[in-house]
Amino acid sequence: MDGIITAGLIGVSLGAQYALLALGFTLIFGILGVVNFAHGGFYVLGGYLTYYFSASLGLPYALALLLAVLGSGLLGYLLETLILERVIKDSQSTLMVTLGFYLIMTTAFVVTFGPEAPQFPFPVTGVWRHGGVYFPYANLIVLMVSLLAIVFVYWLVYRTNVGRSLRAMSEERQVASALGMRTKTLFPFAFALATGLAGLTGGLVTPILSLTPHIGDPVLATSFLIVILGGLGSVTGATVAAFIVGMVEAYSAVYLGGSKGALALFLLVLVVLVVKPSGLMGKEARKA
Amino acid sequence: MTLSPTKSTFGSGQRFFSVHEWIALAVVLASFVIPFATTNPQILSLTNQILIAGTAALSVYIMLRMDLMSFAVPTFMALGGYTTALLGLRLGVTDAIVLGIASFVVPALVAIPLGALILRLKGVYFVLVTFVLTEILQLLLFELGPLTGGANGLVGMPAVTFFGIELSDLSQVLLTTCGLAFVGVLTTAVFTRRFRYEFAAIEKNDVLAESLGLACWRYKAVGFAIAAGVSGLAGFALVNMLLTAHPSSFSSFSSVNYITYTVVGGKGSILGSLLGAGLLVTASDFFALRGELSPGLFGILIIVVTLVAPDGLIGLVSRIVRKVFSTVIRHRRPVQQEACT
Amino acid sequence: MLLRKAFAVLMMSTCLAGAADACELKIGVPGPLSGPATQWGLALRGAVEFVAAEAMQQQLIKENGQACKITVIPFDSKYSAEGAAAAVNSFAADGIKVVIGPVGSPEVTGTKPLAMRNHMIVMLNSFAKDSIGPQWPNVFHIGPGPSGWASPIIQVAKEMYKFDTALIVAPNDQGGTDIASVNAQAFAANGVKVTQEYFQRGTTNFAPIIARIMNAAPGAVDLASTPGGDAGIIVKQLRQAGFTGPILRLGGAGYPEIKRVAGGDEVLKDFVWYEPIYMTDQLQAVDAQYEKLMGGQRPENADFFRWLFASRMVMKAIANAGTLTDADKIAAELRKLPVSDPDGGEGHWIGKKFFGINQELSFPFAIGRVQNGKLLPLLRHDAVSEN
Repeated sequence: MDGIITAGLIGVSLGAQYALLALGFTLIFGILGVVNFAHGGFYVLGGYLTYYFSASLGLPYALALLLAVLGSGLLGYLLETLILERVIKDSQSTLMVTLGFYLIMTTAFVVTFGPEAPQFPFPVTGVWRHGGVYFPYANLIVLMVSLLAIVFVYWLVYRTNVGRSLRAMSEERQVASALGMRTKTLFPFAFALATGLAGLTGGLVTPILSLTPHIGDPVLATSFLIVILGGLGSVTGATVAAFIVGMVEAYSAVYLGGSKGALALFLLVLVVLVVKPSGLMGKEARKA
Repeated sequence: MTLSPTKSTFGSGQRFFSVHEWIALAVVLASFVIPFATTNPQILSLTNQILIAGTAALSVYIMLRMDLMSFAVPTFMALGGYTTALLGLRLGVTDAIVLGIASFVVPALVAIPLGALILRLKGVYFVLVTFVLTEILQLLLFELGPLTGGANGLVGMPAVTFFGIELSDLSQVLLTTCGLAFVGVLTTAVFTRRFRYEFAAIEKNDVLAESLGLACWRYKAVGFAIAAGVSGLAGFALVNMLLTAHPSSFSSFSSVNYITYTVVGGKGSILGSLLGAGLLVTASDFFALRGELSPGLFGILIIVVTLVAPDGLIGLVSRIVRKVFSTVIRHRRPVQQEACT
Repeated sequence: MLLRKAFAVLMMSTCLAGAADACELKIGVPGPLSGPATQWGLALRGAVEFVAAEAMQQQLIKENGQACKITVIPFDSKYSAEGAAAAVNSFAADGIKVVIGPVGSPEVTGTKPLAMRNHMIVMLNSFAKDSIGPQWPNVFHIGPGPSGWASPIIQVAKEMYKFDTALIVAPNDQGGTDIASVNAQAFAANGVKVTQEYFQRGTTNFAPIIARIMNAAPGAVDLASTPGGDAGIIVKQLRQAGFTGPILRLGGAGYPEIKRVAGGDEVLKDFVWYEPIYMTDQLQAVDAQYEKLMGGQRPENADFFRWLFASRMVMKAIANAGTLTDADKIAAELRKLPVSDPDGGEGHWIGKKFFGINQELSFPFAIGRVQNGKLLPLLRHDAVSEN
């Protein structure tokens, strides 16, 4: 019984972490139609910036995290306006640009911070225990931040004028511009929001796990998985799928082992897509 | 933006092969000379890598004809490669022709039922699902240890033979690769040209094409199977070059490379995949000498090419060629020039 | 533009190579310089470059009485068989006959056949079960894998902590399985019942694996060759889950990184690991020599020292052989050399038992221990010998 509860709690923590990751990824896709291969890079960037501000400059962790979010957002903003905007209409070109940017980012991390993980502990280390069941407080914080971020994104996308414009533009960019919406400022803003979220996840999660230059690869793969399962561009879908993936991963890995568990997860995603080709809550597919 | 496959850039729209196909075939035919012309191992190895990468990238090209971007290239390469390795190890099959056919047919056969499942997906969903396939492949290779050798892969295959002649040293291995690449290019050229109108219709708007009576799913299924087969040929060549079928040769992130070759080279032409592979494999080998900076330099190269040449390098080259041609033609025959473009 | 520039540089470098003076020793160094295994490649490259600089300073390599220039040519083999094959072919085209590296199992798989074909001598490292062997007579190994040191470390751990069951956790690829299976044999030979648990390479959060380990309730956990960062998370999460048994690390160097990620020795609590070298004052002094000669800090990874010893041995063999290119002669000289290093101490040639060929360097190593959250001094262990 304890085992089942523990696995469930693990699933919830994984889900919270994945939801944060997938939010930014699905936003960029939903609004800009860009599959952002550099998403994992911004996660790592958030980690290293938080590390730099807190461990090297000695700022309090929360402030360092905030600066890291702003930094990741700013870099995303620049990437969109300076490079991505030139090829935004061609989805294969955007894929190439974000991929190239990811390679550059990873190289920069190795050169700047070295290939090994630095000492970068999370400020809260305690664990809640009850019998055989346990839950690290750090995971609780991730869960809360994740829920706040989800609510914030919802509010922004569905309750504000900026959000309405963004959604309109995601439908038809030219029409929206003709109606006087400022795509030139709003698109970079959306991109910055998404990379900022990736940075937030990195700054929050890497001290709990570990921070090395190459942890972006699996992050990208996980974001892929969740976003396909949930339906691309759907915030609700991504959230729900993140928790499903977290739960499935937890239970299958606990009861089948790491390798077979991962296989079970991938097969599940494959089956869902075969049954419902646009993901759990996806709209019609965009061109890739 | 993209070069339409129905209209040849150089204006031979009526003929079966356009200039691009002829050049592609000529280039691969010309590569047969290299094993005889030099013994420099780096040139031999580089040519080998380029031809393998180019052949694998062709399957991306085929799928893009139907507006589908496939990450599944390593999956089918592995199927082809492991098939030939197992045939050699378990059954002692060494004949290059038999192995070549097997490396094409097995992935193609697997692609048919798989295609029935996933070809309904469009756009990014297809992209992401093919990405998941590469991850599944890695796990299957590990879990099916008794058959695939698990994490250690398969080694110790007997050398490939061609009409009884053993092809074992570096230049002979390259000959095998040249042969496989030639078959790959020829298959791709014949297939994409034979169905160029159908593919163009699917690429533009498959719902409309369907409603006009085109059985899209049939062409897509065949296209997927052919692309899988061509990947399989590349997988055979890779296994033959490395003398081992190893899971790390078919990693999920290697799929990104093949897509990069095709897009950077130019997705509108069969030549694009070959040119992209040629340039990027050479660059990657060159950058590898720069150590830990290599991925970054590679990244810069990809971004620069994407920004400078949105239609890929082939698009850039054809634009220049066309400009030169039209000036020449205008000088000689001022009137007749738009007839074929 | 970039391409044109790159091409120009390429042309220039080939021209320069052609114009260099007659006596030059070129050493090819294939290793992962990108990707998650980068630190291993950097340790290798740093050591070979240092040894080359040192040898030039001492004018160790001479031809016709004239001191030779020593050039180190690193090549990013990307931790893959293809990358290593490309590296070896590139070296072959450059006329390189001496190769030091690579480090990973897939790379070693790609290196050996091509190195044989091109008549090279190779000094490599990996925990693969077939790193070296009689079919590759000119391939040498910088030091034993777990076949050499797993058993003595298990004995030390068993003395410190009583356990009769153990669980080995490792990634599900060759780098993980090859070492985990050898460790499993060593545990069994020491009367410990053992299970193996594989996770998917690229796992970031190990909580589910940890829960599985807790369900199995082993007496000890062995991290085998799990990469340092991942190993750190596993330790941290094991302790969070309430695991109180000892944790072993019967794999490559990585204690400093594991400690940093886990959150210090208090979290490691009871930890026993393989330390590739026994740190002496003399070895500490290498740091300063490195800084003086190379103008920077040495790579942190402790495998740096094993590469240092191995590269010096190769350099001595080349000097004794009196040839820069005859791999057979150099290999013959290398086999004759007693295993010793001015900084690393004395050792033996081993490998006959496990690999079937006596071409593995064995130097003294150390066993690291953290007990009850306190770092204990390293235990020195004599070089493993097969006699």
